[in-house]
Amino acid sequence: MLKKITYTLILSLLTLNSFSQNNSSEIHGNFDLNMQSYQEDELIGAEAADEIILNNAYLNINYTKGDFVAGLRYESYLNALLDFDDNYKGNGIPFRYASYTIDGLEVTAGNYYEQIGGGLIFRSYENKGLGIDNAMDGIRLKYSPLKGVYLKTFIGKSRTYFTYADGIIRGADAEVNINEALNFESKTRIIIGQGFISRYQSDINPKFKLPQNVAAYSSRLNIINGGWNYSGEYAIKLNDPVGSLTAEGNNYANGNALMSSLTYSKRGFGIIAEMHRVDHMEFRSERAQEKQYIINYIPTLTKQHTYTLLALYPSATQSEGEFGTQIDVFYKIKKGGLLGGKYGTKIIFNFSRINALNGGGSYLNDNEEHNPMFFSVKGEELYYRDINLEVYKKINKRVKVTGILAKQSYNKDVLEGKTPGTYGIVESTIAIADISYKIKKGHTIRIELQELLADGGEGSWSMGLAEYTISPHWFFAVQDMYNWGNDKVSKQLHYVNVNCGFLKGANRIAIGYGKKRAGIFCVGGVCKEVPSSNGFSLTISSSF
Amino acid sequence: MKNIITLFSLILIITSCDIVEGPYEINTENVTPTDTNTYVKKILIEDFTGHTCQNCPSAARELEAIHSLYGDRIIGMALHVSKSFARPYPISQAPKYQYDFRTKWGKEWDDLFGISGIGLPGGMVNRIGYPNEHRLGKDEWLARVISELEKEVDFGISITTSMTGNEVVITINTKILNNINGDYNLVVCLSESNIINWQKDGAEDVEDYKHNHALRSLLSDENLSTSSNYTNADNIEQTISVNLSTHEQFNINYSQNTAELGNGNAGGWDASNMSVIAYIYDNTTQEILQVEEAHLNN
Repeated sequence: MLKKITYTLILSLLTLNSFSQNNSSEIHGNFDLNMQSYQEDELIGAEAADEIILNNAYLNINYTKGDFVAGLRYESYLNALLDFDDNYKGNGIPFRYASYTIDGLEVTAGNYYEQIGGGLIFRSYENKGLGIDNAMDGIRLKYSPLKGVYLKTFIGKSRTYFTYADGIIRGADAEVNINEALNFESKTRIIIGQGFISRYQSDINPKFKLPQNVAAYSSRLNIINGGWNYSGEYAIKLNDPVGSLTAEGNNYANGNALMSSLTYSKRGFGIIAEMHRVDHMEFRSERAQEKQYIINYIPTLTKQHTYTLLALYPSATQSEGEFGTQIDVFYKIKKGGLLGGKYGTKIIFNFSRINALNGGGSYLNDNEEHNPMFFSVKGEELYYRDINLEVYKKINKRVKVTGILAKQSYNKDVLEGKTPGTYGIVESTIAIADISYKIKKGHTIRIELQELLADGGEGSWSMGLAEYTISPHWFFAVQDMYNWGNDKVSKQLHYVNVNCGFLKGANRIAIGYGKKRAGIFCVGGVCKEVPSSNGFSLTISSSF
Repeated sequence: MKNIITLFSLILIITSCDIVEGPYEINTENVTPTDTNTYVKKILIEDFTGHTCQNCPSAARELEAIHSLYGDRIIGMALHVSKSFARPYPISQAPKYQYDFRTKWGKEWDDLFGISGIGLPGGMVNRIGYPNEHRLGKDEWLARVISELEKEVDFGISITTSMTGNEVVITINTKILNNINGDYNLVVCLSESNIINWQKDGAEDVEDYKHNHALRSLLSDENLSTSSNYTNADNIEQTISVNLSTHEQFNINYSQNTAELGNGNAGGWDASNMSVIAYIYDNTTQEILQVEEAHLNN
């Protein structure tokens, strides 16, 4: 079947090329390869792979001719890297599409990624790092009937590994830029949006009444005035029981989510205040509560750290229920004076806090009903708290320094789905120093020193990294993470990694060797568990 | 064009949502399809679980609910697997979670079918969908059961046992119900129910949790026949002699010597709560085509 589709696609590309010679056509693409060897390492709990080497690879090809676009992605998992789901197995072309735009109407057939608003009710996306790809397969129409009015509607099934989930997903969204639509000149710009999503899955349950069409909708508002920007979105999901045969397994409660963010910025200063409240708001491509079916996205309300020890304990959004607040302040001390120096100093302060909803998320069945209070912080179970201060300073033409101090509280049981009471809350204090020194033109050395002092979890860690870059072609890096504070002496281990890479034009090749610890890897509050590993890695990226 | 899209979106919004009002439970009796044949299609649900897995009891309850709806046509098997969720706790934390329910075969099947690697609970219904769609969450079992119940049955299995002390003789009679061709294996296992021991259930540590259908031992996994052609109405008989103590000791040794962080506390079998489960699977697709269960001392 896939072969047939691909053949038809290639044939149609060639045909199209031959009859419309007026518009120039272009083909672009990119290729990624991640290969890793796995050796057994009993100390860190790393398992050997039977295949010794595992490999993931992707090739994207996109063809453009005027208003016509078509493309495909070849994926190869032989076999999938250990941190990937086993169900990614073998080769295939799971992504292919064709699209054209004419008189303001855009028509897409085949696979597409789509999002409604911030994603609270629907987000179809791919993130290879997380092993997520819930691409849609179906039809999508986009149309702009008037200036400032954007409509889209789509229907399809959502990808699950190399197949598609049972549910048929239908969606619609309208976005209106009031100023543009009404030709309204004002310092204040207002954009409103309304989205709707619905899943059809037949009801085969002989014991419980199930909705066959499960709907969710969201309204959003964005007001911009000078340096001020308010953005808010409210979403409701109607009854969506999982289809269990037990009464307690089916939760008929509606879900809801609210996101609200206020930003003020001017030259050298910015402040963002945000809150969100999420209650029973996981939307899936099937009733069954399995992570591979999730097709909405609730971003975390915590800072996305990039330094290893700051991101050692990341926050994962709890879609069944959480309340969070965050404040982020940016300030640049002007040049001159003791603090500003020759180039000025950037300071970023961030605070975030996430806690449980009162009594947990909404719940409804024949025997029980629970609706948590809208606002409740005091006395609720803490999920995550992060208070951090980052200072960035350019000392002179050669030296740049970043320093960060952070204090984090991490509810390991909840955020990692462990049995309650197993680990409790890990309290950690983290300090980071990042010093970059330009030796001469094109030669830079960068040193990271990181320290995490913790109660609970795996205890305290130290980390050092040295990276030497010879731009534009080479980089070399060596790093060591040392778990010196682990309660178990046998686990007080070094995790050393050596990497080097070569970049030329559109190609990038990197090889590495080292040990990785088992842990949690998150992007924007969506997380996956990564097993420990020991071995060589090869990554190749290329584009044309 | 804009009217078409607006209309399409409006139709979508107005029609695409069902709101279900309580009471949600429909009064149902046993809904097993009536079948007067001697042999009917039976279904094996393998529930991969662990005693410190907080969400696993909800899967066990789902299995019981499916069983109570479809009666004897549903046969359950609980396989306690993984170091994370099924290992016994250190002695310092006694009396909680001191027992080791794990077995050599549970581990082998878990590795082969890749169940606990993605997290527990997880399971299979007749191993349908192997190699890519066989691992099912508990909420997915029912749909698979319903489609399996519709299938025609090619084999009928009957089990007879006789027991003297620890010695058990098990006879499996397979009756061929159609002319068929294929590569099939017959598996014979022992399971035990009504084991009262600790289990995490949500946030609770339940001391007197009733563990049912726990896999105890694999007694045989061999070709059903030396030929790949099976003729309607043929009978194939296999007899297995088992010493329960030997098999029990095997599990104790496995827990002590092989299982990760095991403690050897894997004995205490109670033959009065044990069952023989026999099933036939296709060696090519792994699909379980027929299954039967009988009490050990029937």
